[in-house]
Amino acid sequence: MSSRTRWKEGIPLYLALTVILSFFALPLLWLLSLSVRTPAEILIAEVRIVPHSPTLQNFVEVLRNQQFLGYLWNGAKLSIIGAAVACAAAAPASYAFSRLQFRGKTQLLFAVLGFQMISPLVIMVPLYRYMQALRLTESHLGAALVYAAVAAPIATWTLKAGFDAIPREIEEAAMMDGCSRSQAFLRIVLPIGLPGLASTFILTTMLGWSQFIVPFILLSQPGMLPISVGIFNFLGAYTGSATQLVAAASVLSLLPAVVIFLILQNFVVGALTAGALKE
Amino acid sequence: MTSVRVIGPEDDPPDGMRRARRRGRDDHPFWWLLPVALLLAIFYLYPVLEVVRISFTDATLLNSTYAYTLDSYRSVLADSALPRIWMATVIFVAGSVIGQTALGLLIALTLQAGFRRRLPGVRTVQVIVLATWIIPGVASAITWQLLLSEASYGFFNAMLRQVSLSPVAWLSDSRLAIWSATLANIWRGTALSMILLYAGLQTISPTLYEAAAVDGATAFQAFRYITLPRLGPALLVNIVIVSIFSLNTFELVMPLTGGGPGRSTEVLALAAYNAVFHDFNLAQGSVLAVLMLLINLGLTIVYWLASRGLR
Repeated sequence: MSSRTRWKEGIPLYLALTVILSFFALPLLWLLSLSVRTPAEILIAEVRIVPHSPTLQNFVEVLRNQQFLGYLWNGAKLSIIGAAVACAAAAPASYAFSRLQFRGKTQLLFAVLGFQMISPLVIMVPLYRYMQALRLTESHLGAALVYAAVAAPIATWTLKAGFDAIPREIEEAAMMDGCSRSQAFLRIVLPIGLPGLASTFILTTMLGWSQFIVPFILLSQPGMLPISVGIFNFLGAYTGSATQLVAAASVLSLLPAVVIFLILQNFVVGALTAGALKE
Repeated sequence: MTSVRVIGPEDDPPDGMRRARRRGRDDHPFWWLLPVALLLAIFYLYPVLEVVRISFTDATLLNSTYAYTLDSYRSVLADSALPRIWMATVIFVAGSVIGQTALGLLIALTLQAGFRRRLPGVRTVQVIVLATWIIPGVASAITWQLLLSEASYGFFNAMLRQVSLSPVAWLSDSRLAIWSATLANIWRGTALSMILLYAGLQTISPTLYEAAAVDGATAFQAFRYITLPRLGPALLVNIVIVSIFSLNTFELVMPLTGGGPGRSTEVLALAAYNAVFHDFNLAQGSVLAVLMLLINLGLTIVYWLASRGLR
């Protein structure tokens, strides 16, 4: 095939790619565009992606807002604690799913995945009631534990995949030398599996950062809210009066997730489609 | 097969017996599975059982006492709002499934053709589509609210004005709003369909297409008689998963429309939330949650059967 015909065949493909790109990229570009506008330019109704006088003032203003900083801090705190608990609880189970032979293993593994099909919304009524009875509403500890439970299935699956990739011979040699299985797990398998553990931790942190339903239901004091619910409140308070600030706040809220995704692309996609793409 | 491999005393010299017993207990899956099992049992399994139990009561957030009754089911099923909730839910879920599958398939085919010809820029398009899926749901909702807004900063109406068309009430027209919300959900969820269908396409042997080309088949015929039938299982898995995710979607609709205007975009997930935190009716909220659970369960069974067929 000559390069000319190849180039010609590429035209419909590039057309399709352009259509796809515009549908998916334009909304984000528009958000970005609104976030660097002056209040006056928000009021001009025209399609202009690059504003006349772009400014970073909106970001400065949002980041100077004590409440918004609190949202960021709470979001980071909840998602990091939730991810740490999820990984700590899931790691031994993932190891068992990877190494031990026991009855009902496959069924249990899929049962764990089945929890992902249940929205936190379904369980919110009892959750709210007994978290209230345990005085765990309006508590970061209570919310973080629910974050951990929501993330636990995906953590179990991705950690198992990580342990599967570690050759058994290494820990078997250690166990021959008198190491118990739990010692072999703690001293040998976990250190070797650290990169997989770190990726799982980062992934579950990212999912926690996006978590909306759980904090929306369990937390209500403004000083306790994470970023996801925080920008929802921002939306109520500022749309219309200061849309550029809402846009800037939204950009700041999605930035960490996008950065993590760009670094861990294949891992993230693999983890989030676990089960669906397993042969 | 027994559940645990027991290391008997005959396997070890006498002085190794204590160690062997310890190793045996170590090998039992129970202790390994306990932490995650506790976490899921306390925060998922028990609440699921509780929600079923509460659905058979008349509990409210205002009273601490309650009695067992079927009245909550009766009143939810007889509620004049229920047909409207079903309608909104069906449009949202079916629209998302059809839109995401069609668009996801188009993208998957384009990406495959692009990667095969090693066209530059294909990877970038793929990453941007994936990014829309990864950003927090609330941020997507706000992005779409700004796009669909009827104020000066609304992108779609600015576009319409540019070509001298009259603006559209995307989010405040009670008949249109649910479609706008569905469009936003398609934007957000298509990446998942793209991933699943792209993986499905990779399982089709290229020799089939070569044979078809030798026989003089057109590109459309190859798609119709090779791609579509072979993609069947992947399509089914995709449809089920997108249905479940769309049915469970709360964090997109809530900030985008809040269920309005009126109650025109009150999908099942929002109705369950409103019953509890708006009307303080725990029991009716639980009934709606049980309905969601049952639909999810049914879809999961279909998914399980479908993915078994894949293997």
